[in-house]
Amino acid sequence: MTSVNAGAEYGVKETVRRFILRSINVADLNDDDDLFESGLVNSLFAVQLMTFIEKTFAIEVGMEDLDIENFKSLNAAAAFVVRKNGAG
Amino acid sequence: MRHLLTDQQMARHKEFKDFVALNVEPFAEAWDQEQKIPDHVVSMLASAGYLGSSLPPEYGGQGWDIVTLGLLNEAMGRGSSSLTGVLTVQAMVSMVLLKWGTEDQKGTWLPPLATGELIAAFALTESGAGSAIQSLATEFTWGPDRGSLILNGSKKWITCAQRAGVFLVFGKLEQRSMACLVPKGTPGLEVEPIRDLMGFRSAGLAQLTFKNVEIPSTNIVGKPGFAVSHVAPVGLQYGRISTACSGLGLLRGCFEESIAYAAVRKIADKTVGDIGMVRSLIARMGTDLEAGGYLCHNACHADDDHLPEVFEKTLMAKFFTSRAVVRAASDAVQIQGAAGCHASSPVSRYYRDAKIMEIIEGTTQIHEELLGKMFVDQARRLR
Repeated sequence: MTSVNAGAEYGVKETVRRFILRSINVADLNDDDDLFESGLVNSLFAVQLMTFIEKTFAIEVGMEDLDIENFKSLNAAAAFVVRKNGAG
Repeated sequence: MRHLLTDQQMARHKEFKDFVALNVEPFAEAWDQEQKIPDHVVSMLASAGYLGSSLPPEYGGQGWDIVTLGLLNEAMGRGSSSLTGVLTVQAMVSMVLLKWGTEDQKGTWLPPLATGELIAAFALTESGAGSAIQSLATEFTWGPDRGSLILNGSKKWITCAQRAGVFLVFGKLEQRSMACLVPKGTPGLEVEPIRDLMGFRSAGLAQLTFKNVEIPSTNIVGKPGFAVSHVAPVGLQYGRISTACSGLGLLRGCFEESIAYAAVRKIADKTVGDIGMVRSLIARMGTDLEAGGYLCHNACHADDDHLPEVFEKTLMAKFFTSRAVVRAASDAVQIQGAAGCHASSPVSRYYRDAKIMEIIEGTTQIHEELLGKMFVDQARRLR
């Protein structure tokens, strides 16, 4: 990973972290905590997170992006956004 | 609330209300009694572009915003809750395909859905899995060489299934949730009409049974494992927005019928509207109508702005209007007395239809569970 990408990924990660901490009942979140296996999120959270990412980073999540590896943790979501922005 | 609408949105709302006054309200009682909406009425919805209202023009839709979709459902809900069922499920399936369909699926299915040449139904509910969609028992298995799927199971209470030409069916494939398009007429698919519902009587509900139904794997919508978490919620979001706004229209019906009756019906030397207790009922109804209008607009506007809060705003709008319309319909019957209990008064139908609003697209209790948890969690974070 280049330092430019690492910087972008850090910014994305902190933005997503703030959204998740506003949305679910946890005090803090580690970068690799599994959001979906933790049992902390309700049935609406997956689409809320997806909508937040689409709106905030001006990307569109499509059928080809439906992979739990893209959304399962802060690290995964940040890498996905950076990759998607790079691709766009 | 009108001050929040653009001139174009207001003009379209007037067009929708004129359509309903001419083509829906005078006939809704007969449809209810016959438990069927005539085909030509759905054709009129299609010709007016109402069945593809929110699909982009590139697929033959109108490209209207979600505020306008809400106004359309509000206007239709004033005339016939059952008729809004067609609009609701068409939007649910169309918007799921727009979001999660492959380019081939969008090119194949969206144009006929946009024009209304094809009617769709959202086949999620099962007799053992209503609001608890994680408990689906309908099962997909792979066919030969994974080029096809074999579907077995059943669905119940599926709105518009008597009329639909294609079903978006939810089930499980190897323990992962999955959604798949199943055309009407596929061998092994049986559609059995459900009659004699309390309300929503002409919405064409049916039970579906799948016995070794073979579908091409190109009909999978989204990917296996994401139907419950990502595919269904997109459809349910539009289902809830449509239902909230349809319930708001029905609430307006209760209010308008009640004030009209209260203004002219005489008891001795007074009108019903001179009675303080009746004024109390009407005051609650009118205030609920105003509040519901703001909640529905708020939800639709959040969807147009693509805000993540749209899901909770929509839950609130649906929760509020569905409960408010049950109260309003009960009070509307009460104000008219015996006359309100007879089919010659529309409020008797409103009373039966209103209760359905608390059941479809997630029960009141599911909404309370989700919203209650959300509010409590917000308070915890503020400590």
